[in-house]
Amino acid sequence: MEKEQYQQLEQNVTPKPPYLKNVAKAFFVGGFICAIGQAVSLFYIIFFNFTEATAGNPTVATVVFFSMILTGLGLYKRIGQFAGAGSAVPVTGFGNAVVSAAIEHRSEGLVLGVGGNLFKLAGSVVLFGVVSAFFVALIKYILVTIGVVSW
Amino acid sequence: MRLLGMTLPLLVVLSLLNGCAEKEKFIVYGSTQNESEVEALIKEEDYVDRSTVIQYDDSMLVAVQIKPWEKWKKTKLEKKLQKKFEKKYPNKDVFVSADYKIFYEANKIKKDQMEDTKLSDKITELKELAKEET
Repeated sequence: MEKEQYQQLEQNVTPKPPYLKNVAKAFFVGGFICAIGQAVSLFYIIFFNFTEATAGNPTVATVVFFSMILTGLGLYKRIGQFAGAGSAVPVTGFGNAVVSAAIEHRSEGLVLGVGGNLFKLAGSVVLFGVVSAFFVALIKYILVTIGVVSW
Repeated sequence: MRLLGMTLPLLVVLSLLNGCAEKEKFIVYGSTQNESEVEALIKEEDYVDRSTVIQYDDSMLVAVQIKPWEKWKKTKLEKKLQKKFEKKYPNKDVFVSADYKIFYEANKIKKDQMEDTKLSDKITELKELAKEET
């Protein structure tokens, strides 16, 4: 059998993934997570002394905390299975990545297992977040110095 | 997931019903001097959705909520409004904010009918809070 023939055969056999359905699921579940985030943010604004500008930090912390608990209880993987990127792209996916790595490597010990692998997946998120923030700030600083935009 | 399918339409319906209750959109509280003038000044700007103005002595707290699509330019519009008010009332200490927290607290002041020293304390507190960045 030739390579092309095989590919043809494979394509005929593989079921078509329901793209539109997956996209809709991701859209609605992701939106629902964001709505919860907005509710948490409003909670901080109304009951504590946070403004719209400062409520972001505690909101992110709280939402990540929620997803960490859900991961520990084994519920987040079900949401992930249903919604795919809708549950991975919001910041809740970060909490999930940290805790699931910790659970996975628990048997290897506390230091080399949990400690060494905790940021296995989330480490790249932190790294590229910091690096891209640095470059964005640098570009903005240069633009402000030239006088194109203002802070 | 079944639960989600049931709660989501309910939430949508509730939010729609909530929108039906017409609220007072432009509020001026405190000393009644040039009340209608201030209101007209804000109504001129079509990007302002709702606003609450608190007047006390020489200070003036203008809390506005900007319409959803205009919110991209929130800080710019805030500054524009601040300049407009400073020009109109040069001998007043005007503070304009488009933050929801300030708007919420301003409405609370109106609701509680806060007065005198308590009111001026609250205004200074809110001004400091609005400048907070961390």
